Amino acid sequence: MASRPSLKPKPKGGKKSSSAADEESTSATAVRLVKEWTTWTMKTTKVVAHYGFIPLIIVVGMNSEPKPTIAQLLSPF
Amino acid sequence: MGSAASHSARLPPPPPPPAFDAATPPKPQEEAGKPAAEEKVDYMNLPCPVPYEEVQREAFMSLKAEVFEGMRLDYTKMLNQSFGLTHSVSMGAVEIPAQGSDVIKIPHGTYEFGANFLDPKLVLIGRLSQDGRVNARVKCDLTENLALKINAQMTSEPGYSQGMFNFDYKGKDYRSQFQVGNNEFYGANYIQSVTKHLSLGTEAFWVGQQRKSGVGLVARYDTKNFVATGQIATTGMVALSYVQKVSDKVSLASDFMYNQMSKDVTATFGYDYMLRQCRLRGKLDTNGVVSALLEERLAPGVTLLLSAEIDHWKKDYKFGYGVGIGE
Repeated sequence: MASRPSLKPKPKGGKKSSSAADEESTSATAVRLVKEWTTWTMKTTKVVAHYGFIPLIIVVGMNSEPKPTIAQLLSPF
Repeated sequence: MGSAASHSARLPPPPPPPAFDAATPPKPQEEAGKPAAEEKVDYMNLPCPVPYEEVQREAFMSLKAEVFEGMRLDYTKMLNQSFGLTHSVSMGAVEIPAQGSDVIKIPHGTYEFGANFLDPKLVLIGRLSQDGRVNARVKCDLTENLALKINAQMTSEPGYSQGMFNFDYKGKDYRSQFQVGNNEFYGANYIQSVTKHLSLGTEAFWVGQQRKSGVGLVARYDTKNFVATGQIATTGMVALSYVQKVSDKVSLASDFMYNQMSKDVTATFGYDYMLRQCRLRGKLDTNGVVSALLEERLAPGVTLLLSAEIDHWKKDYKFGYGVGIGE
């Protein structure tokens, strides 16, 4: 009951398997984290591009030579 | 490809180099040394070929005119030499694909705001439509020979956005391009000038999600008077085109497309009149479609657009008119 010889290999085997499972799971978690980060990056990039592309063009254009004025930007003529 | 092979057989003075393949230009010294009847062709100084996607450019300019239906108003305002804003209103109909030969149209109105920045090294074009879709195009010259092009359509609904990155490298007499797109799309193409008039190219693409891939070959023979191209791909598509420049103002084009998967065969004949005040393009199709597009410059800065497309087979008639203001 206290320590059965038959049980000893099992915990070791159990530990090995659990430690092996731990090792696998650390690399698996690393892969999973990388995937999650890249998915998050792609999603954020897409949102940034969606909302920011037209303002980016306007900012780049307003800073080009000769500089147009805000009045020229907003007026219909 | 048949048309390209027969044209290359008719090459005049310099004898075609023996046993060459499309990828390598032939040895310089022997060819440059041989005196030719009309002119020496220096095979080391061939002109750079047109980009791969523009191989059928002349045919598309004449035959793929943008016919539209309904009313269209385009206003372009240039704030300075390189920066401009555009407003575009369109009221027309959108077709819904329906079973049978009926055509169902739904009235559809759109407003699109656009901003363009055109610089020799950087081109930014953005279009924002009233339903929140942004259409973005970026072309940036990273170095003298390497250019990056980005083309993206972004929508508010998740999963419907598309983007494509192209890296173009321009060599002395060749161009190569590498494409990366969403849905794990990878493509590459390469085009090489083989003689002064003939250029040959090849492309390959791979779509990850659908596990599809394809290889294609293209050949283009252009002279001052005509341009002939042929394209064939493992997706089962064969496309041949021929454009003849009858004069400075008139050019005639014809196009043949065969799709082996859908057993679709189409031949198109078209004309393009580029006159001082107007540009008239029309075409006739073997699908029973006749169309024409007129762009007339009424006054400096005012353009009138008239478009008509009649599909006799499906009894679908599309007429459109529009005005463009601004340069």
